[in-house]
Amino acid sequence: MTNREKYKQAFSAIHASDHFCLEVNQVEKTMRHHRFKTMVAVIAACVMLVGGATAAYAADVGGIQRTIQLWIHGEQTEATIEFDGKGNYSMDYTDDEGNVKHQSGGGVAFAPDGTEIPVSKEDLMEELTAPDVRYEDDGSVWVYWFDQKIEITDKFDNDVCYVKLVNGEKTLYMTVKYQHGYATSPHKYISAEAFN
Amino acid sequence: MKPPVEMMVETYRNSLYATAFSVCKNAQDAEDVVQDTFIQYLSQKKDFESEQHIRAWLLRVAINKAKNKNSTFFRRNSLPLEDYMETLTFESEESSELFETVMKLPEKYRIVIHLFYYEDYSVKEIADILKVTTGNVKVRLSRGRLSLRNTLKEVWEDDES
Repeated sequence: MTNREKYKQAFSAIHASDHFCLEVNQVEKTMRHHRFKTMVAVIAACVMLVGGATAAYAADVGGIQRTIQLWIHGEQTEATIEFDGKGNYSMDYTDDEGNVKHQSGGGVAFAPDGTEIPVSKEDLMEELTAPDVRYEDDGSVWVYWFDQKIEITDKFDNDVCYVKLVNGEKTLYMTVKYQHGYATSPHKYISAEAFN
Repeated sequence: MKPPVEMMVETYRNSLYATAFSVCKNAQDAEDVVQDTFIQYLSQKKDFESEQHIRAWLLRVAINKAKNKNSTFFRRNSLPLEDYMETLTFESEESSELFETVMKLPEKYRIVIHLFYYEDYSVKEIADILKVTTGNVKVRLSRGRLSLRNTLKEVWEDDES
């Protein structure tokens, strides 16, 4: 008997539970229901705070941790997010291969008198639900927005590409500069010269 | 391609369970990992290239989820391995000894040994699944084998190639 045969024989002793199939079917039904409810909420408000949204308090930093549903790279993902009240957020989520990912960011806005104001939680959430442009190793370029995944690789003309994104009643006109960011507007395409 | 989840469950659940168990060494956690892996499959919009692509993806997700179980602060009050082993029926004393010895290997050796000997993957394929270099896989495989050989003596042959 080879090592491989011995190994397989040893591990043939363990099996998943016999009740497993039924559980998966139940999960599938639950998920469909959940997805439907979430999609309604997403169309209405971009992001849904899961029932009883406040999951924990991080008293030492004054922030509130919440569980939210976000679309990350075309996949709906549950994330725990914490805002520190100073214009910053910190977020953990599990990607499509089960890896726990950490993401954080923040920013400031400027008041009319030029003083800096930490961006609000609402502004940060808007940023998190904004479209995402990804440049893959194989050279392809993709736009992700909610559950949409659009390949724009061949749509660039002089390194500029225009994409109209529609999600329910929300429409975004997106101007993408190859490797140089993008701009969106709900009303019209922003000129490539007008940003960056 | 994306075959129905029922077909995937039928084909891969025991294999994923064995892989998850070999990482987290806990029956209930391994069950959860398998369940979560199929939920992930269900919720994916991913279009797979082939059956092999699906199998590798499922294993990678299960391994990552099992590792997450190991690293989480809140571990279950798990049944000790020895107690769990008493609930299993091994074909021989050698099988039981081999199983127990593999479970005592460090996690990083255990998973490589498992993918090589149970899933029949090559070094290159294991490197792709674990997203590490082939050199790293070779080292882990070699050290895992050495440890098995030292403990199991004649039960484990020297098959280092």
